[in-house]
Amino acid sequence: MSETILTTASDTESTAKPPLLEMRSITKRFPGVLALSEVDFDVRKGEVHALVGENGAGKSTLMKILSGVYERDSGEVIFKGQPVAFRNPRQSQLAGITTIYQELNQVPYLSVTENIFLGTELTRGGVALKWSEMHQQARDLLAKLHLDIDPRTLVGRLGVGMQQMVEVAKALYHKADLIIMDEPTSSLSIREINDLFNIVRELKAEGVSVIYISHHLEETFRISDRTTVLRDGHLIKTQPSADLNVDRLIRLMVGRDLSEQFPKEIEVRGDEVLRIEGLNQGATLRDINFSAYAGEVLGIAGLVGAGRTELVRAIFGADPIDSGTFYLDGKKVNIKSSRDAVHNGIGLLTEDRKRQGLFLQMTVRENITISVLERLTRGLTTNRKREVELSQQYIDSLAIKTSGQDQLAINLSGGTQQKVVLSKWLVTKPRVLIFDEPTRGIDVGAKVEIYRMMNNLAKQGVAILMVSSELPEILGMSDRIMVVTAGRIRGFLDRDEASEQRIMELATATDRQTIAEVLPDLFSE
Amino acid sequence: MTNTSVDTKQSSNGTAGFVRRMLANTGPLLILVALWIILMILSEPFRNPRTWGLLALEVAAIGVVAAGQTFVILTGGIDLSVEAMVSFAGVVAAILIAGTSIAGGQVANGLPSVVAIAVALAAGIGIGMFQGMLITLFRMNPLIVTLGFRSMLLGVALVWTRGAGINILKDGPLTAITTVIRVGNFPIPVPFLIAVVVYLASWFVLKHTKFGRYTYAIGGNETAARLSGIRVDLVKATIYGISGFLAAIGGIMVMGRLQSGAYQNGTNMTLASVAAVVIGGTSLSGGIGGIWGTLIGVTIIRIVEAGMVYLDVPSTAKEIVIGAIIVLAVMLDVIRRGEVPWLRIRRRAG
Repeated sequence: MSETILTTASDTESTAKPPLLEMRSITKRFPGVLALSEVDFDVRKGEVHALVGENGAGKSTLMKILSGVYERDSGEVIFKGQPVAFRNPRQSQLAGITTIYQELNQVPYLSVTENIFLGTELTRGGVALKWSEMHQQARDLLAKLHLDIDPRTLVGRLGVGMQQMVEVAKALYHKADLIIMDEPTSSLSIREINDLFNIVRELKAEGVSVIYISHHLEETFRISDRTTVLRDGHLIKTQPSADLNVDRLIRLMVGRDLSEQFPKEIEVRGDEVLRIEGLNQGATLRDINFSAYAGEVLGIAGLVGAGRTELVRAIFGADPIDSGTFYLDGKKVNIKSSRDAVHNGIGLLTEDRKRQGLFLQMTVRENITISVLERLTRGLTTNRKREVELSQQYIDSLAIKTSGQDQLAINLSGGTQQKVVLSKWLVTKPRVLIFDEPTRGIDVGAKVEIYRMMNNLAKQGVAILMVSSELPEILGMSDRIMVVTAGRIRGFLDRDEASEQRIMELATATDRQTIAEVLPDLFSE
Repeated sequence: MTNTSVDTKQSSNGTAGFVRRMLANTGPLLILVALWIILMILSEPFRNPRTWGLLALEVAAIGVVAAGQTFVILTGGIDLSVEAMVSFAGVVAAILIAGTSIAGGQVANGLPSVVAIAVALAAGIGIGMFQGMLITLFRMNPLIVTLGFRSMLLGVALVWTRGAGINILKDGPLTAITTVIRVGNFPIPVPFLIAVVVYLASWFVLKHTKFGRYTYAIGGNETAARLSGIRVDLVKATIYGISGFLAAIGGIMVMGRLQSGAYQNGTNMTLASVAAVVIGGTSLSGGIGGIWGTLIGVTIIRIVEAGMVYLDVPSTAKEIVIGAIIVLAVMLDVIRRGEVPWLRIRRRAG
């Protein structure tokens, strides 16, 4: 009896307060695939609603239909009580829906103010810009978000995290009722993530709703009220986040049990493979000395801007260095270019695979063999037969999901693309393989596969360096952890003694002198 | 999902892939065939094989130049110096053959044409590679570097010839490479055969050598190419060398045909070569395209020009038509690639 009353009461409550957004039975078909199949989704006012699912589950498609990038095939969208069908992102923005994309859409050579007001500049008579007023408003918006940046700063000079905050400020300026955040934390440091979460909470307090898309499931629990899981274009479940945990969520997303996220296998540490002595590079890298060993995964942790990527790029010969001696298998080697690095058996999986790793318009085969074409060349021509065999071997052993060797890389999913880039390096039979943010933007299932490949490589005696901003990944996969702060090595932690706490202590250690030396350069960068 | 969202035309190996590539190439080819048929219907002389022979001759020099341009554009660059190189190489060879830089009558006591041609071609490679080195080593913009060299090369040709043509007499070898041979009823100009050889060689290099693969890789993603251990600078410099070399061959062809080396020999060839490459489906941003499309592009341009002559369109209007073709070609290109949001025919899942 009392139960019935309770149900009725909550029912009345939800009907009394119609949701801000309701998407009903959304269906979208792309050539050859049903991207969304009758998906229902709703967002209440002032709610943070997490949208999770593996890559290709349909999250982005659903959001693109909402913001007007795609047209839906069927279904209806009701926003603020009105049925809507936005035909482009501008229309949805005017209606109060702002998307903050993974790849930021900002003009780097314009100031923060100019970016916030881009397209909606305040003018006198439609001509002269009201600079002081715009700067003042920008300052107010930034202050609201507790951001200590001068609105005159060029956006290109800000870190990715700050750029994202500027996007949030822009959304606030547009009086957005609903902000879609697509993987907002994928390139943020822990501190920036905390700042972002505080901002999300404030947005919420002001009645702004947020749709939060992320691969970082722990985050979605911390921040969201409800969670919706999509899988293969179908709605699996929408429920209060408080009723979920990571394991359950992964099971819902993947549709099967994933007993462990990090399938680490510990290998016996072998001989020293790589030794770096006295590496210096301007103000970005100072006095770097370390060794990496066969069969070892050396995690490189640190805050964004600490110099981790710069360090691995320097080792790979991608950027010039001021000084430093490199030894491979005990022998001194000269690495002046990436070519030297490749020829000496060093490989680098860059953090931005689309921009720096892949040839999107080339086939899977061409991508795999690009670094070993010289070896495959007999006389004038490349040995087509061997090339086909070789790439097939890696397609098979890495279980690369492709319709064939001739498929263009651009048509592959993120995880599959990462495997293609990995194959490119595996064919070179590397002694040292550097992974820079190896699983960024990759779904749970594919992540585990990448980790297993790391295990395999370690087993074969490859020395692995892994840069990652995800502490669980660092802790889960590393045998040893090197913490970098302000361009210097701050310390090493063994697997047994490492914890998030210890890493953060090292990463944020304030050696005032070092910071003072380096910070001006970081800011003027 | 992206995996499964691949439409069937994309997922291809063997014959399917061949058919797909054929389909991708058919756009320009269909236009060419349509033009041909229209002209056959409208114009009496166009049904004569002699006209075709003439057309083949017209295609030869610009075809060779455009082949070089194709390499450059595939890497994401552009070579605006080709027309100047055509003139320059012709002037160099003519001066050496004539033994004088004074316009008018052939003195005929210069070097044998073989030597003169070799010098001109070497100059083509050298100057092309030098431009490539400036572009790569100093990270200079190819547009500006090649524009500057266009001006310099034309200037040198002008100074050396004092603005007039250097006339020559053809010796045996030069006659041999500029003559027309007959196969049955069909006249086939030797320059056209040379052009065919150049295209076969270019196709071979692009498809079957690592150098060709690197060309596409650099155009598709220069950063990734560098990080894959490719000597990007060397490949790019070489490619400007190839462009200079092929432009010099084009210059010899024009000079041999006119029996005169003059600074105007290459007029309009830069625009025509870039247009041919684009009409042929090679992307101006690099990484996508191929050599056969360029040959089709060149033929389309020449056939339109010839058609205008046979249809009594005033030759002064030629530039208007060529300009329009270029703009149309680029338009078709971006539409076909789905880069025009409001015209996008099929969209991929993101």
